[in-house]
Amino acid sequence: MLINTDIEAVDEIFQEGKVVDGFVLGTEVHRGGMASLYSATKEGIDVPILLKIPRVGRDQPVESLIGFETELTILRSLKSPYVPQYLGSGNMATRPYIAMERVEGRPLEDFIKEGKVFTIDEVVKIGADLAQAVQSLHAQDAIHLDIKPENILIDDKGKLTLIDFGLSHHARFPDLLAEEMRKGIGSAPYISPEQVTGIRSDYRSDIFSIGVIMYELLTGELPFGNPQSMSGLRKRMWAQAFPPRAIRKEIPRWLQEVVLRCLEPRAADRYQSATRLRQVLRDHESVTLTERADRVDPLSFWENLKRMFRAAGYEPSPSPRPSVGNDDAPLMIAAIDTRQSDEDLRERMQTTAKNLLQAYPESRLVCLSTIASTPTFEGNQESETASGIVRGHLVQLMEWAKPLKLPPERISYHVLEALDPASRIVDFAKDNDASLILIGASHKLPNKVTPWRTSMTKIVEEAPCSVHIVRT
Amino acid sequence: MTERIGLFADLHSNLEAFDACMEKAKELGVTRMVFLGDLVGYNADPGALIDRIAEMVADKKAIAILGNHDQAVFEDHRHQMNASANAAIEWTKSQLNSSQIQFLKDLPLMVQENAMCFVHASAHNPADWNYITDSMSAWRCVQSSGKTYTFVGHAHEQALFYQSAVGKLIRFTPHPGDEVPVMHHRKWVAVVGSLGQPRDGNPEACFAVFEPELEVLTFHRTPYDQFTAADKVRRAGLPEDLANRLITGK
Repeated sequence: MLINTDIEAVDEIFQEGKVVDGFVLGTEVHRGGMASLYSATKEGIDVPILLKIPRVGRDQPVESLIGFETELTILRSLKSPYVPQYLGSGNMATRPYIAMERVEGRPLEDFIKEGKVFTIDEVVKIGADLAQAVQSLHAQDAIHLDIKPENILIDDKGKLTLIDFGLSHHARFPDLLAEEMRKGIGSAPYISPEQVTGIRSDYRSDIFSIGVIMYELLTGELPFGNPQSMSGLRKRMWAQAFPPRAIRKEIPRWLQEVVLRCLEPRAADRYQSATRLRQVLRDHESVTLTERADRVDPLSFWENLKRMFRAAGYEPSPSPRPSVGNDDAPLMIAAIDTRQSDEDLRERMQTTAKNLLQAYPESRLVCLSTIASTPTFEGNQESETASGIVRGHLVQLMEWAKPLKLPPERISYHVLEALDPASRIVDFAKDNDASLILIGASHKLPNKVTPWRTSMTKIVEEAPCSVHIVRT
Repeated sequence: MTERIGLFADLHSNLEAFDACMEKAKELGVTRMVFLGDLVGYNADPGALIDRIAEMVADKKAIAILGNHDQAVFEDHRHQMNASANAAIEWTKSQLNSSQIQFLKDLPLMVQENAMCFVHASAHNPADWNYITDSMSAWRCVQSSGKTYTFVGHAHEQALFYQSAVGKLIRFTPHPGDEVPVMHHRKWVAVVGSLGQPRDGNPEACFAVFEPELEVLTFHRTPYDQFTAADKVRRAGLPEDLANRLITGK
């Protein structure tokens, strides 16, 4: 890393009473391994201010500066009532600091250290509030990745704030910690199995960490301990946490279900959004109980061994973009027969698509057309090659969709190669979790009616979603 | 006023996209333009586009760099290009007057200025027209340019390569309209994307804006009338496929 050596003078710049970019430094309120925190004031800013200054110099790990840069990038972009407000920053190379709102409250860690026993209701409330705070990050395409009691402040009214974004990931900014040499950065007790393998883009990692915290608050124990080695960290890829109800009997079965589901090794088996987690915590009657709720004994030696072997091939689930965690963005498929020339039907399908899209502002449209097969050889003319044929069909789809005037993020076009168009369309709908298939049925093609009817019947029968048939 | 540099590459004679981007750049308060090569080729308005850029360059409002398609107008590149590209070059030659061709001949391969390097393909052997597509090609480019910020085109998809903790360059796909902090203690290679022939499935024109003092880089996409541009391509008798590319963005 090319870091300016001027940076070593940082300790002299940041001292009580000095003024940096208008910020008047107060007392040092905290000195940690990575950063020092100073209270500060500035004319024109009425909220209490905190200046975070990275610890830099020869003896400091390079992560402290990368973490600082990461936090600066992400904090600056976030707008959330559960995150300190960003107030300014200094030049990274000469006087690095982040100025932020100084939030009232004590770290959850302090309460744990004092030996506080949390009631079931308190844990449920903290879990639900955490889920809400985390959701506000996910909705902005940010993932915290270091949710732990030290990084959660709770004020005397119970309001919660998330701090420290030094390990966070934001889908819209370069991930400066990607491909770090060291895998599994973060706090050993709280990081998810996929984080252990080095994945930093799965928002469901935060849901795992919330599960660990709820487990800890309920039982006073850590579900996977505090391992210091890679093999210790890998245990969470297969191990089942000791059932919380076996430690504390008063824990309701539904709550054990929720906590253990958050702790599932595969992200796809956990709650798929922080919103959903908050919902189940606030309305426990909506929790579907599974065998997780009934577990009382730890797994047998043999069962553990089996799970361990299965985990040898641990494959993290694919990570969707954080903001797609919500399900109010239905996907609609318009199956368009590019060969057909019935203008009335074309217009009616366009109108139908338009109306449906207006009904769901977050919906997306996929324009789909199938072709029999493309040649495997490259032709002399571009229009004879596979890519030329597909492109020709794409153009027709785009012309079809032109009157809908949809922004590009709401529409996409696919030309699928298929011998059996109906099955291909049905499969495509399944793979993409479509909510609706739109097809047109023309009365003007008597000679084609039979194969078309077979196709349509098949789609109607086999589709995983609703099918809307447009008639002229 | 802080400087805002508009970065435009692979304009490819697409006047509709060019005008839309110039208007957007004006709205964004761009103070200076850099045209990162491939002013011509593929599409239907080479002469008009060169004239507009030449005027800005003469007024010292812009820098323009040479691209491989520009070079193909006055040097033989037939063996390095596909049939459609060659057909478009042949057609382009017939459309340009001698002063327009001279303007292309006078374009520099690379310009370096303060912490910035502007080049069409890669700062590593710029005349070889190497694509920057992965970490290795980006690293070679950075090594050769020696600058904090290298701005390129040639590869038509927007990408930002940044130096990680281990020195390796990592590819990031930017999100249009987001201000990306590009702090100057790292090295960065930005592929600004194609203005005149986007290929990532989105027909909107690509460009980027860099603010050196604020250390912020923003990638943009601008909608324009791709149907008119495609019509012009068809009417000029250029390969149909080139018209389709504009409509599909593929």
